[in-house]
Amino acid sequence: MNRPIHPAPPSWPLKFLRLIIRDQYLEEIEGDMEEVYRDYLEQFPVRKARYLYALEALKLLRPALIKSPKISIQSNSPDMFANYLKIAWRTLNKSRMYSAIKIGGFAIGIAAALLIALYVVNESGYDRFYANTDRIYRLINEYSKSGNQEKWTAFQPQMVQVLKDEFPEIENAGRLIPYAGWFDAGDNQFRRADRQQNNYEEGFAYADQSLLDILEVSMVYGERSKALSEVRSIVLSKRMADKYFPGENPVGKVVILEERTGEPFTVGGVMADFPPNSHLQFDFFITLTGVEFWDGEQTNWCCSNYDVYVLLRPGVDPNILEPKLLTIRDNYLIKHFKEQGDPSADENAKYLTYDLQPVADIHLRSKDIGDVIPHSDIGIVRLFGAIAVFILLLACINFINLSTAKSANRARETGLRKVVGSQRSSLIRQFLTESVLYSGISVILGTILAWLLLPYFNTLSGKTLQLPWHIWWFVPLMAGVALTIGMLAGIYPSFYLSAFKPIEVLKGNLSRGTKGAGLRSAMVVFQFTTSMVLIVCAFIVYNQMKYILNKDLGFDKEQVLLIQGTSTLGDKWPSFKTELLRLPGVKNATTSSYLPVEGTKRDQNGFWREGRKTIDEDVGAQIWWTDEDYLATLDMHIAEGRGFSREMATDTGAIIINETFAKRLGLEHPIGERIENWRTWTVIGVVKDFNFNSMKGGIGALGFVLGNGGSLVAARLEPKNMPETIAAVNAVWDDFMPNQPIRYTFLDESFAQMYEDVERTGNIFTACAVLAIIIACLGLFGLSTFMAEQRSKEVSIRKVLGASVGNLYQLLTFNFLKLVLISLVIGTPIAWYLMRKWLADYEYSVGITWWFFAAAGMMVIGIALFTVSRQALKTAFSNPADHLRGD
Amino acid sequence: MKKTKLGEFEEFVLLAVIALGEEAYGVMIKAELEERLREKLSVGSIQSALKRMEEKGFLKSVFGEATAKRGGKRKRIYMATPYAQRVLEEIRAVREGLWATILKINNI
Repeated sequence: MNRPIHPAPPSWPLKFLRLIIRDQYLEEIEGDMEEVYRDYLEQFPVRKARYLYALEALKLLRPALIKSPKISIQSNSPDMFANYLKIAWRTLNKSRMYSAIKIGGFAIGIAAALLIALYVVNESGYDRFYANTDRIYRLINEYSKSGNQEKWTAFQPQMVQVLKDEFPEIENAGRLIPYAGWFDAGDNQFRRADRQQNNYEEGFAYADQSLLDILEVSMVYGERSKALSEVRSIVLSKRMADKYFPGENPVGKVVILEERTGEPFTVGGVMADFPPNSHLQFDFFITLTGVEFWDGEQTNWCCSNYDVYVLLRPGVDPNILEPKLLTIRDNYLIKHFKEQGDPSADENAKYLTYDLQPVADIHLRSKDIGDVIPHSDIGIVRLFGAIAVFILLLACINFINLSTAKSANRARETGLRKVVGSQRSSLIRQFLTESVLYSGISVILGTILAWLLLPYFNTLSGKTLQLPWHIWWFVPLMAGVALTIGMLAGIYPSFYLSAFKPIEVLKGNLSRGTKGAGLRSAMVVFQFTTSMVLIVCAFIVYNQMKYILNKDLGFDKEQVLLIQGTSTLGDKWPSFKTELLRLPGVKNATTSSYLPVEGTKRDQNGFWREGRKTIDEDVGAQIWWTDEDYLATLDMHIAEGRGFSREMATDTGAIIINETFAKRLGLEHPIGERIENWRTWTVIGVVKDFNFNSMKGGIGALGFVLGNGGSLVAARLEPKNMPETIAAVNAVWDDFMPNQPIRYTFLDESFAQMYEDVERTGNIFTACAVLAIIIACLGLFGLSTFMAEQRSKEVSIRKVLGASVGNLYQLLTFNFLKLVLISLVIGTPIAWYLMRKWLADYEYSVGITWWFFAAAGMMVIGIALFTVSRQALKTAFSNPADHLRGD
Repeated sequence: MKKTKLGEFEEFVLLAVIALGEEAYGVMIKAELEERLREKLSVGSIQSALKRMEEKGFLKSVFGEATAKRGGKRKRIYMATPYAQRVLEEIRAVREGLWATILKINNI
């Protein structure tokens, strides 16, 4: 036949037409299109013909010609829907174990994800309740020199005035002194002037009147605009007002701190308690109005002790304002250092810049900023968010896996439905309905579970979270979650199940369960990889914790009793000490608020070797005021020289430095050397380095001098008869201070508190790891049961032919074991990478050794094997006749 | 007459179907009308008019022969139903009546 050769039309319009044009019109229209195309070819060049052809195809999109969208009302009828639900219910009841695993696993996953989501939402919702949240900033110092970056929040007293006077962009600025131990900031003995009984209270801070305005503190009594404007005024939180002035308006009442009856404070107002999602949590604001901590303090640019908060005017871009602020550095700070004779002032100042940190960022994004506000870390929050998603994924995977694995049992039903006229779309709808039903039940159970577990979770996370029932969108949200997860989890099984060919299925030809085995394996691998990673992480976090708590610190933290609030003893301290030492269980006692635990009193100073103040850069070091018995009480070791002695009158000018300090000063033979800060000291001893801050950082420079160290007595006790000793100490205290109940802790407890966040991280990791492995095992259990059922005939035949139980066990478990092994191989590097990043934050960290992985691996294998074994053994031991009789 | 609902374009297509007789299939109808109306018509517009009228009972159709030019696809030959013939006659009668009146008025 002589075929006319002609260029073919583009193929996509035809494919498109076949998809959307009604089937009964297709032949005719395709013919017409072909004919029209040939006509075009005769009239126009090929390209234009093809273009016109495509255009013609698009013009066929007319309601009369295209398929009507087939949401046929018939199959959506309530009757059909009721039937789906009925069948779903029957299926659920028919194999209760699978249903329980499916729904239970899902519910656990949802409960875990819900709890973690609550946590994440809470953590990321800090400090967003101000009317001007986006205009409130905290001022930060940033000092970057040769790759080292340091950030801190303390500023000089005049900073705020300069900001207000010289920068029109700034609407208001206020100061805060949150530093515990700074005069009255931190904790105090507190009482009303008209009562005798002292009470220990925490949460004191100094604040400007303007800070109350910037932070929009709401008042219960008194006016905000005047609450701190008077000299020696104080603002109480509502809970404190309720405690000390129940049922009264405290404004104008007088209160006494630390038994200093000569320096009373007048209550200027009562503020509402800080909301739990505020980065500031204070109960007492002492005014900074008219305060000068020492002569000339307020006008000196030497010392930084004030945190600064600013309110920008609307529309001010902080990024543009930040460089402008550098004029403060140039005009005031450099001037001050030059006056002090520091030749490198210009040089050093250029490394210093000022940043504005949005108030809403303080809680999560202050990791590298040295401040004393307790906060979390965005990294941890993200990590937990990721874990929540993973756990939810694991639960979804179980659902998908079990649904497809069990699909063979539904094949007959599918086939029959198809034979009696069910469309594929309605089958998909059926399975989706089923899946949504399951997920609906799971979400309800999961929410109940979360609700039941919430108190434990709160203990674990140190929060006071609640399910937000009162928020209108919570219930719709959960319903939405049920629907979405149900759809997502059901989509694969439903497409898979509805694709069965009725003839093959009804003939019984379906290769049962083998289809989709690859995907199932991949999912099992995913689940166990996640479990492995979480287990390794939990292991390492715990070991790090143990390592820190038991590391040789350079002092002995056991059996040290800390009696707090002892500044009220005043002159009675020496006789109190004598009485204490007379007790048989007390080995030693000292007084100092400076303790090797983060959050206790600190005093950072710049030091020089004598006479080199104008030549060298200063060495920053802590200076701790103690008495003669401090080193002995805390069991710190002298490396060189001697400790303080009562016999040496000159020791009032003596300093004992730590090894790091000696190194930083460049002193090879430090004994007898003289160093200066605002006075001169003679080095009489070197103490071995000990950790006095969190072990996240290294050991800093530190020196001890003799002096009044504050409001805390530390006593080393004999390990024997501790309760009696404590009772005796209590009795002595009551003799001395009948109006002030004793308050004591132990040093090792305070020390452990320092690592609360590590412990918390560890606990949450462990909980997540346990959940993940439970969910993974539930899935594995379901799958292995199913596989064992499937292979029961094969196993029976093997058994008849002489296979031993051992052989059969191996046969049934090997496949799963292989998957778990693959997971270990994948999970190990992931866990290693994650943990290396986490440990990088710690100056002292436990090494990542192979046995963490080995132990986690053994654990995973053990659990997996245990899970699979039950069914494998049951099948292997079963009587072959039972399975073969039917055929 | 009330319920016929024959659009103007549909009427043209219907007349073309009758005029073409045995040759009345999609492309042919399109060509015929393009020539008479002096405008380009799309396959889609002709086809949708045909389908609509078939549904309303003005047309019936049978498959015709397949040709190479049509890529081996069969034609569908359309025929007007007696009902359509009657409706067309009625329309024509109405029009002619009106025209007669118009002419009469103009002539006087």
